[in-house]
Amino acid sequence: MNKLSLVLSFLLLSISTVTTAQTAKEIAYLVYNKQSPSNGESDMTMTLINKKGHERVRVLHQYFIDLEAVEKQLMFFKSPADVKNTAFMNWTYNEEEDKNDDQWLYLPALKKVKRISNSNKDNDFMGSDFTYEDMEKRSPERDSHTLVASEMFNGEAVWVLEAIPLAEEQYSKKVAWVSKEKLTPLKVEFYDEDEELLKTLFIKDIENMEGFWIVIDQEMVNHQNKHATKIGLENIVINSGVLPSKFTQREMQKGL
Amino acid sequence: MKKFTHIVLKNYRLVLVFILLGTLGNLYSIKQNFALETDLETYMPKSHPAFIFSDKAEAQFDIRDAILIAFNDPSGIYNPTTFKKIKDLTKAIQKLEVVDNKDDVLSLYTADNIRGEDSGLEIEPFFKRIPKTDLQFKQIAENVRSNEMVYRRLVSEDEKSTLIFTKIKDNSFSEELYEEILTLANSYEGDGLEVYVAGQPIVEGTMAILMPKDMKKMFPLVLLLIFVVLILVLKSFKASVISMMVVILSSIWTFGLMLGLGIPIYAPSSLIPVMLIAIGVADAIHMFSHLQLQTKVHRNWTKTQLIENMNTEMFSPVLMTSVTTAVGFLSLLSSDIIPIKYFAAFTAFGVIMAMLFSFILIPAALNLVGLPKSKLSNKSKSNTFSDKSKLLAVSLVAHKKIVFVSTILVLLFFGFGMSKVWINSSFLARFPDNNPLVTTDAFVNDHFLGTTTINVILESEESGKFKNADVLNLLDDLAIDVVSQNENVGGSISLVDFIKRMNKVLNEDREEFYAIPDDSDLIAQYLLLYEMSGGSDKLWEVVNEDFNMANLQIQLKNDNSKSLNATLNSVELYRAKFKDLGVNLNFAGSGYKVLVFNDLILQGQIRSLLYSFLIVVVLLTLMFRSIKLGLIATIPIFITTVISFGVLGWLNIPLETTTALISSIAIGIGIDYAVHFIDRYKIEALKHKNKTLAIQETMAHSGRAISFNAIVVVIGFLVLTLSAFKPNIALGAIISLNMFTSFIATISIMFIVLYVSNVFFNKPSKTK
Repeated sequence: MNKLSLVLSFLLLSISTVTTAQTAKEIAYLVYNKQSPSNGESDMTMTLINKKGHERVRVLHQYFIDLEAVEKQLMFFKSPADVKNTAFMNWTYNEEEDKNDDQWLYLPALKKVKRISNSNKDNDFMGSDFTYEDMEKRSPERDSHTLVASEMFNGEAVWVLEAIPLAEEQYSKKVAWVSKEKLTPLKVEFYDEDEELLKTLFIKDIENMEGFWIVIDQEMVNHQNKHATKIGLENIVINSGVLPSKFTQREMQKGL
Repeated sequence: MKKFTHIVLKNYRLVLVFILLGTLGNLYSIKQNFALETDLETYMPKSHPAFIFSDKAEAQFDIRDAILIAFNDPSGIYNPTTFKKIKDLTKAIQKLEVVDNKDDVLSLYTADNIRGEDSGLEIEPFFKRIPKTDLQFKQIAENVRSNEMVYRRLVSEDEKSTLIFTKIKDNSFSEELYEEILTLANSYEGDGLEVYVAGQPIVEGTMAILMPKDMKKMFPLVLLLIFVVLILVLKSFKASVISMMVVILSSIWTFGLMLGLGIPIYAPSSLIPVMLIAIGVADAIHMFSHLQLQTKVHRNWTKTQLIENMNTEMFSPVLMTSVTTAVGFLSLLSSDIIPIKYFAAFTAFGVIMAMLFSFILIPAALNLVGLPKSKLSNKSKSNTFSDKSKLLAVSLVAHKKIVFVSTILVLLFFGFGMSKVWINSSFLARFPDNNPLVTTDAFVNDHFLGTTTINVILESEESGKFKNADVLNLLDDLAIDVVSQNENVGGSISLVDFIKRMNKVLNEDREEFYAIPDDSDLIAQYLLLYEMSGGSDKLWEVVNEDFNMANLQIQLKNDNSKSLNATLNSVELYRAKFKDLGVNLNFAGSGYKVLVFNDLILQGQIRSLLYSFLIVVVLLTLMFRSIKLGLIATIPIFITTVISFGVLGWLNIPLETTTALISSIAIGIGIDYAVHFIDRYKIEALKHKNKTLAIQETMAHSGRAISFNAIVVVIGFLVLTLSAFKPNIALGAIISLNMFTSFIATISIMFIVLYVSNVFFNKPSKTK
């Protein structure tokens, strides 16, 4: 499974005829099980917006591959200039492996690969408002689900699905507005451990490419520290034939 | 004037009703529009370059003063009970209405611990769940000790105390908030844990609340005492009541107008009644004193005649004193600070109102209630006073050399004292030494880096400048020098601390890497690594996103102007070096703004004192048509000012806003005494054509009123020395002192100079 689904969100337009009434858990499984591409690449623009509204823009090129037990991602900075060719690699293990992500950062000025040892899923992804977990798929077995409503949202039929983790985790609750057609959330609210609204994810643009629904533009807004992060994709190539041998420390050092 | 008085007396009922209605109207205006302005920010001149810059920097780096809560556990903080309290209080404060961002609360629970591990970087809190084993606590203690950015900043060297910093929303401090935080913090006391609450917002906020409160409590006492002393010296209940009415009504009308115009009461304006009482009561005293003397002399005059005579003879001196005093205050309009301009304008207005009430209310009221039953008919007593003052006049003339010499000695002595005067903008210094805020602040300053902050803002046109190794090395040198050269500086934090820390932990914690790397790209990549490893927004409090602006935050252990200035001076030494690298250096933050603010007040005050001298000389020269007299009239002001500042210098009392403002009272009082005295001297000189007789009569008439005035105000304001607040104590002491010295200076040295100068006798034709 491609767990970095939100980074690329390659979603399959399958099971298009969801007509019968669904239980909350069934819907969660529909979203979880939908097909996604096994490899690909794209340019990514990450815009970090601070509480004063100041924007910092990073442009990267990313590769990904889904190897069932592990999903690997490699990113190279294109700008800002002083971090150009800095490379970031992330390995996410399948939930059954019960293993934290492995992460490395190659600093060209130091000519060394540094391990980011604190690869907790609660941590922010590249200093953004997304945590690693926000970008990964999550087994419906870990939450209890409630179907709150079935309604229209931005002109699309959606389910409003509430998920409460069975164990104590970083969020106390998530509420998602899931498109019935695309089986993709259009909006997600994240509540903190004190059950206060922490963040909202807005999916701003979804395109259908080669049968997959792909999130092109999304924005995460943190209500507590007033930050926001926008992630936009361009030049997307699905199943571009990236090989597993691309995802090594040696490749990181080579640069783009 | 006679005509005017005649009209007033004829229509006295109408006049009184009009005054009553006017007073009621103004009371209504006060009640409707009452507004106190205690927020210091509104006092700052927004358009002043230093403030514009500081405000910009404060917004950029989120510079706000923090409320500090210290936990002190004599058995050491590394235990589950205290850690639970740190965590719980941190979370409780994060939920307060005035905290709009959870990141605004910094404690051991929320602080970033930057460290290296597995040849990588790790940034995470020191703890999330309460540790259970001693080993875990030992590890945390070790992490704190080896973290240069946290050790001594958040945890004291003896490991018995820890701090929680809270930044509250701008301008949100209130008495209720202080109570709320105090109650919340104190609820964690117990199990051997002591709790202290300190910080600049609390000190400033509490002062803004408590000082006017203290004044409100003390002021009725001042009024009461003045009233009692008035009865004693005027020996008339009626006269005392009317005198008090003049002063109180002029205060009411002044506040009524000010608030009616939508201008709130700023701290300096709260001194207006004080000024009006000290100055305004003089008009009434002089008039009643004159009336009493005339009643004695002209026993056959009718009430109307006596009142008309009083108004006519006292018209010129009262008008002159009021106009000069008002103009003296108006010179404060040159100040940069708006609340001071209001203070100046409305005190001037009040002085004129006091004059009008003296001319209108006194005759009208006397017509209604009858002349004061002058117990002065008791001849022997009054003659004693008159005889004594005449004796004094003669003996002063006989020993004029002694008066001259002693005046010069006094001036030299206090003139030297003036050179020792220092300015203090400290807020804390204004509280009584045993106030909990003072002791708490001292505790925090003893155990941590300091409660006062100065920000040094470095700025360049070139983005990315603060990734340059040369610039960062210079910043590092500056930070090290400032801390080592000033014993009052506890520490500092800036971008270099982040970079040095990362360089060290990414190089196996080797001490030799606790330095700035040479490669700018490496610095940039470290910073990226910091962000990617979960580093918090704290970075953006020391550098901006374009890396062309940096903030060096210096922590001081006290807020007095001496140590602030010493710190600024050691920073200044680096200005040229930064300039060479294309970096501009400026200051920001509340500590700096208060310093600049006080400097502005004092500069304005000193400038206004100089203007006042000039204005007084010019006005009095015009009024008396003699430059000589204009100059002589400034003698009491001059001596009063020198002694006033000299006493501050010798007693090591720092000059601060209240003390400085109050010095303008020297002008008001000095002029009053001098003008009354000179005017009377002129009248007596023209009447008797005999110098000795003239000085004797002047001393008996004017000297009497001046001494009454001095006694009343000195005793009244001495009450303020019982206040808890040092500026209020200073206020009472200075007013009393100024009254006293003006009085002595007028009847001794000015009197002698007047005598020796032979005005009104050499060319009497020209003086009239």
